Formats: sequence, structure tokens, C-alpha cells
Amino acid sequence: MNFLEALESTAFSEWVLISMLGFPTLIALHSIGMAIAAGLTIVVTLHLYRIVPGIPEAKLPGILRIAMWGFMLNLVTGLAIFIPRGTEYITNLTFLVKMLLVLISAAILVWLKSHFTNIANGSGDVYASVRARSLSLVCSATWIGGIVTGRLIAYVGTIY
Amino acid sequence: MGLEKLGWLADTALGMWVVSSAAIWPTLECIHFVSLCFFMGGMLVIDLRLTGFYRDPCTGLIGRLLRLVLGAFLVNFTTGVMFFAGNATKYIDNPAFELKLSLIILAGLNALYFRFRLSHLLATDGVTRVSKFVGCFSLLLWAGVIVCGRMITFFAR
Repeated sequence: MNFLEALESTAFSEWVLISMLGFPTLIALHSIGMAIAAGLTIVVTLHLYRIVPGIPEAKLPGILRIAMWGFMLNLVTGLAIFIPRGTEYITNLTFLVKMLLVLISAAILVWLKSHFTNIANGSGDVYASVRARSLSLVCSATWIGGIVTGRLIAYVGTIY
Repeated sequence: MGLEKLGWLADTALGMWVVSSAAIWPTLECIHFVSLCFFMGGMLVIDLRLTGFYRDPCTGLIGRLLRLVLGAFLVNFTTGVMFFAGNATKYIDNPAFELKLSLIILAGLNALYFRFRLSHLLATDGVTRVSKFVGCFSLLLWAGVIVCGRMITFFAR
């Protein structure tokens, strides 16, 4: 807790909380990152399940790379939002569940990117294998779970 | 913008229902944000084609993506109307909300231009300067819509 308290008393934290630009800008960029990362993952999942077929296979690594950039924007702005109120967030069960879900989706996103990059490089792996489809579905579901829990942080109280 | 003329929405059964339980507003927010992701995912893939990120002929793909995008927009719009009905004073005379509506209208006109003047490109591998502009403009407009949406709370009276 001491570390989080120290972070909360930095000049950066003060800027985020007090500045007219700080928190609004961060939360807006956080949403854009979320929409890019989750949105593209969902479309790739729908593509793999043949609901939205037709995305060129060779372009999937590029699309997932953009999704990862969206996630990076989400991560950096999320950290900046966390720093000024870390002691509050860390005791919020909804926040902890959100972090778990986001961690799972990010790990799968990295796997999917590497899977489709290997295929584009001629590795011979099956394009829409059962594993790729299933993990992609889990990735989309955890993104949606992360968004829902993210929205609920403000409404659900602390665990202790 | 004349939104105060819509203030009567707060007195409708819908407006009263939205604020009748503590669980309804957060649930609507969740639906609004999840549908936003479906919408933006579809829009991104369409705009990436227009900007030339990929050039493959893709009439069928774009048709299916447009259905996804329109469906997600409808859900987004419906939940948006519910927010307005539930807390009209937050949105009336709110510059962020007014700008958000203006950007949505502009993005809609941009999409109509794509539909009627550029969709023929999708049957080929063609990318023009105009299609690149329309794709980039669409991305910027929708990013602006998200930014304004998040600013509504900070500009509320």
C-alpha cells in the first residue's frame, strides 16, 4: 500500500486529478484504445466462425497488430488513471476481476497475432484451427467481460 | 441546438423506467460500450479497406460488415436515447453532447458518400485519393464521437 500511496502523492497524480485536461483526456483515449482492441478482436472472431468471412488471410496479422496498438493505448492510459487512485482501485473486487479478464484477453491476442503471422510466413499451421477459433472466442468474451466490469467499477464497492 | 425541445422525453414511461432502478443505468452503459466495440471493429475493417491497408476485392465482406455496423449502431443509438430520456438535463445545453451529435451526422454523410460514390471500388482492388480521404475522415470522426461521448459528464451542468 505504501508504494501506491507514494504514487498517489506524485505531481503526476495531482495533474490527473486536478487538471481540466488530465482525467478527461486519459479516459477518452482509454475508450478509443478499448474500441480498437476489443472491436478488431471481435471482428476477427466473427471472421474465424464464418459469420463475417472474407477478410484476406494475409492481412490478419496486420489487423491484430493494430488491435495490439489499441491495447497498448488502453494499458498506458489505464495505468495513468490507476496511479492517482491506486489504493482505492486495488480494494475494488470489480477492478480486480477486470484486470484478470484483460490479462487473459491480452495474452490470447499476442498468441493469435503470432499464430497468424506464422501462417502468413508459411508455417503450414491450420488457418482457422479449433484452437485458434476457441481462443479467439475466449479473447472476445474476456474483452466484453473487461468492458462490463470496467463500467461497473464506479457502482460496486470495495471488498474490505 | 434546440435539444431542450426533447426535454419531454424525461416525462415519458421510458424516461421514468430508466431511473426506476439503480441497476438499469449501469446495465445500459455496459450495452452501450459493448455495442460501441462491435461498431468500431466493423468500421475499422471497412475504413482500412478504403485507405488501402488491404486492396483485395471484398464486396461480400463489406456488405456483411455493414450489417454488423448498422446493427451495433442501432443498439448504441437506442441506449443513447434511453440515457437522454433518463437524465435529459445532463445532455441539454451540453457542448460535448452537441458536438457528438454533429460528428455523428457528419460521419453519417461521409458513410452515405462511401455507399453511393465509392462502393464500386470494393469489387476491384482499387484505392483512390478520395477513398483514402473518406476512410481516414471516417476514422477521425468516430474517434471524435468517442472523445465527445466521454466528455459529456465533464460538461454537464
